[in-house]
Amino acid sequence: MIILLAVIVLGGLIWLMRRGRGTAGRVEVPPPPPRPPGPPAVVRPIPRERLADGRIVITGLTKEYPAGRVVDSLSFVVEPGRVTGFLGPNGAGKTTTLRMLLGLVEATAGTATIGGFAYADLDQPIRRVGAVLEAGAAHKGRTGRDHLRIICQAAGLPLARADEVLELAGIAQAASRDFGGYSLGMRQRLGVATALLGDPQVLLFDEPANGLDPEGIRWMRELLRGLAASGRTVLVSSHLLGEMEQLADDLIIIAAGRLIAQGTVASVTGAMPHASRTLVRTPDVAGLAAALGGDAAITQASDGDVYITGADAAAIGDAALRAGVAIHQLVTQSPDLEAAFLEVTAGKAAIR
Amino acid sequence: MLGSPALDRASATGTTPSRLVRAEFMKLRTTSAWWLFLGGFLLFTALALLNNWFSNHYLLYPQQDPADRAQALAQAAQAHTPAGVAAIAASMMTSGQFLSVLIVMLLGVHVATNEFAQQTAVTTFLTVPRRERVVAAKLAAAACSAALLWLIATAIDAVVTPVFLHTQHVSTSLTGWVVVRPVLASLLAFVIWAVFGIGLGALLRDQVVSIVVAIGVYGGGFAVVELVFHAIYDLSHQGWILGLPVIAPAVASQVMVTAERAFPHAPPQWVGAVILTGYALALAAAGTAVTRRRDVT
Repeated sequence: MIILLAVIVLGGLIWLMRRGRGTAGRVEVPPPPPRPPGPPAVVRPIPRERLADGRIVITGLTKEYPAGRVVDSLSFVVEPGRVTGFLGPNGAGKTTTLRMLLGLVEATAGTATIGGFAYADLDQPIRRVGAVLEAGAAHKGRTGRDHLRIICQAAGLPLARADEVLELAGIAQAASRDFGGYSLGMRQRLGVATALLGDPQVLLFDEPANGLDPEGIRWMRELLRGLAASGRTVLVSSHLLGEMEQLADDLIIIAAGRLIAQGTVASVTGAMPHASRTLVRTPDVAGLAAALGGDAAITQASDGDVYITGADAAAIGDAALRAGVAIHQLVTQSPDLEAAFLEVTAGKAAIR
Repeated sequence: MLGSPALDRASATGTTPSRLVRAEFMKLRTTSAWWLFLGGFLLFTALALLNNWFSNHYLLYPQQDPADRAQALAQAAQAHTPAGVAAIAASMMTSGQFLSVLIVMLLGVHVATNEFAQQTAVTTFLTVPRRERVVAAKLAAAACSAALLWLIATAIDAVVTPVFLHTQHVSTSLTGWVVVRPVLASLLAFVIWAVFGIGLGALLRDQVVSIVVAIGVYGGGFAVVELVFHAIYDLSHQGWILGLPVIAPAVASQVMVTAERAFPHAPPQWVGAVILTGYALALAAAGTAVTRRRDVT
């Protein structure tokens, strides 16, 4: 009797949970297109004397799991008023670093502070820091508005704030719909709405462009730029350098939990091994080398192609003309930052 | 930010215990979980009332069965005494006790584990980084829900019991201590099992594992402990050994709530209360400690 009833209850509960989780089986109503973002809203600037409260300082941060070190003696500073790109290949330790900064994961060693305080020691933390860690972090059977109102209730914010941030994030029309029916882009926007609830001075975004369409990416970019321009601290993680090049002011690059490079976008990308080279096809490699002299470095590939660095196409052509060397092909190969980034971080990122 | 009339108008109060508990109630109320738990609870209460109705009826008026007719008649005579009728009234007034507290425990497990199953734990702990405050709010919300369910069950029982007594041509006072004590003990059981469920869920975190363990501890623990101690008794024939199953939480709960002895050699009610409370508090403390320390990934 007891066992039978237990089985009934268990079955019922599992059904309940699947219901809560499972909009997978539900017929998905196509989401209405997000409202086109209006003109960039006026962001209330952060007073100069409060700027320092937004400074993120990571010192010797280390996280060790039984399987190994995920973050290894990481130190860097994120300045307010700028968009900082936090770059690294998948599994480099970006998310773990952000989670340690937010007090979700306990550091094995080192400290991570915001305005001089550990996250857990901040008074009213969501009024100081907003974070978008993962799209899809809401109950599938709860509406977007209720999700936000619960956070307002717990944090002691007015419940009406939920509708304001829904409007800000461009998903006001989806406020009364269950989260399970949201598209990935709408989930990202709800994540942004959640982060903005407390009007925080510091914003952390973990891979915010995932799942966004080009329109959404443009909206996100303008939002992040606007936030930084108002004096807020904006830290955005990504595994794509190209994306960050267009958005960020500063870059922090990590791989295998270690700092690889830090500085302004120009200084970091400038230091990467990506000098342009020229592809030359010629029947007289030796003659061309003699004509170019010692400044140019010549490497010959197995297929007979010659790559020259240290002299541009014009210089090579002029030298070949003077020496009477025939040139069959002359191509300048421009630097590929993404390839350089992969090279810099290659072999350092274990698959985790 | 971006100009917020809402934030400007109302000064934010910050996180307070009462707002945290209200947030937990909102979490329950804004999904279908609440209605499903209430539905399951009402169903079990109705089934238990039906079961008690007939078993008490046949206790008072045994069927014509020549085999053990003498014994049945003796029991019926005992049941018709004032003490017997009071015990029947008490059993009617706590109908559903056995299965309803299982629902209440599962409600506690749900409140504790659902945030991990639905990945809302990150948002919750970012909003309130002092995680022990979140667990405390969940304990309070689950205990209040349990008390509410008890009130509903008791209200239903209080309507059905007089009808039953009338149809059986017996009468007793429903406000006597013999009846009121088990009803109040039942409130205590509801609250303790809710705390038990939260503690178990916080400790195990995985929703399905927690539910299986909860049902196992409740139903399985009952049977296993009875079997083991009966086997020991058969070897030693020491009567007090038959009282030891009270160390199982579900047995302790029965001992605490039953008007008379729950079974032969059962210890007094307060022993059950102490043991059950001990389990719940230990689990809640362990669950809180683990929740504070464990990484949220």
